Amino acid sequence: MDFEFLARIIPQIAAGLPTTLLLVAQSLALGFVLAVLVALMRLSANSLASGFAYGFVYVFRSTPLLVQIFLIYYGSGQFRPFLEDVGLWVFFRDAWFCAVLALTFNTAAYTSEIIRGGIQSVPRGEIEAGRAVGMSALQLFRRVTFPIAIRQALPAYGNEVILMVKASSLASTITILEITGIAKTIIASTFRPVEVFIVAGALYLAINFCVTQAIRLAERRLAARSSVSGKKPVRRSEQIAVAR
Amino acid sequence: MTTPNGTAALVAEDIHKHFGSLEVLKGISLTAEREDVISIIGASGSGKSTFLRCINFLETPDAGRIVVGGEEIRIKQNRLGQPMIGDHGQLSRIRSKLGMVFQSFNLWSHMTVLQNVMEGPLTVLRHPKQEVHDRAVDLLEKVGIAEKRHGYPVELSGGQQQRVAIARALCMQPQVLLFDEPTSALDPELVGEVLKVMRDLAAEGRTMIVVTHEMGFAREVSSRVLFLADGRVEEENSPAELFGNPQSERCRRFLASAL
Repeated sequence: MDFEFLARIIPQIAAGLPTTLLLVAQSLALGFVLAVLVALMRLSANSLASGFAYGFVYVFRSTPLLVQIFLIYYGSGQFRPFLEDVGLWVFFRDAWFCAVLALTFNTAAYTSEIIRGGIQSVPRGEIEAGRAVGMSALQLFRRVTFPIAIRQALPAYGNEVILMVKASSLASTITILEITGIAKTIIASTFRPVEVFIVAGALYLAINFCVTQAIRLAERRLAARSSVSGKKPVRRSEQIAVAR
Repeated sequence: MTTPNGTAALVAEDIHKHFGSLEVLKGISLTAEREDVISIIGASGSGKSTFLRCINFLETPDAGRIVVGGEEIRIKQNRLGQPMIGDHGQLSRIRSKLGMVFQSFNLWSHMTVLQNVMEGPLTVLRHPKQEVHDRAVDLLEKVGIAEKRHGYPVELSGGQQQRVAIARALCMQPQVLLFDEPTSALDPELVGEVLKVMRDLAAEGRTMIVVTHEMGFAREVSSRVLFLADGRVEEENSPAELFGNPQSERCRRFLASAL
């Protein structure tokens, strides 16, 4: 192990940290909004909406993220004339856009199922209490169903965030220079993969350490007192954090 | 039992309801004038709770009318000819005038006691926050639970939760209070504290419809008692008459086993 080399590449690879974080943050934010919509469609009485949501989730959960990224980035070139006509080519020719899009769809598919489970676990009586008091459907969702569902879904969602941090490394395959992308360029010029990947791996470890702590804090603040999870919150996120 | 302006607080007329092939309600009617306390008694499965839930449309009745303070809840029919809620805005407005207390309390688990009580008036009625806060604290004091107002439902006993639920219903300033077996889920030693609050409310002149298994309460507090059997009103009378001199055989048998 060449410690001098190690010390030299740490700042180089760490320079990709903001890119990784931005990629994950954008995808998670967009993906969460999309996930709520998909979950509501999936639960709706309208069979067209729920069928579409089912199909969306099925496709994006059952195909590798890498394939999705390639299809969106390279595949969109096949439809360039059409995309130019509708004015979307400016987006699809941009690797960043394609990476965010793929990650967004992917996390939305998983997260919508997490949210759906959360919504379905909301005790019927608490919903009835909201209806009985005169809440509209929107008020009921905003004030009762959603807040309770989120508390239920938080451990599983924490797991999803961790998976997303790791999955963002696949963006390096379409020229995005985030942590893994920079690591690969350094390896290409130095042929020293061990040190480089140790540094890259340690950075992901550091990010996910922070994510785990943040989720744990949020769980403690939100879920600790709800009757559904009981007085002692179980940290499920720790038990199921395995690679996708 | 007529009111000055002639409008009953609540009228339910010929309510029918079935679940699948099971006909639960076969035409139940009830009129509550202001300040009436009407107890509904009967064996399990007689349709008491279903009837109460039809009043605020937690169950949509198959047939019949519900009129609250002179305003009838609108119903429309779907393509299959089944009755549906006709006007959600109107129903919300009417529901907000019907306070409901459930058997299993149904407090919102993610809100503190105080937030539970304030939620309806703030979100549904859009009353000013300070006013609602003061009213909520007063009501929590009244039901004897003000010191726990920053706690969460899970930290309270069943009796305490039910008293919070009553305060939550009262904070909406409802015209009629609906109680769905409010003491049935409670440990025996906690029943008294809830019944005491309900007696106080009756004494204040609140209009109350109470589905209950507490015969003592029905007998001493109600202005009228309905005995339901098999989805019909088998007997309806003043508590003195119904408990002292039941007319039907079924009512006699029920009271003999319940008392």
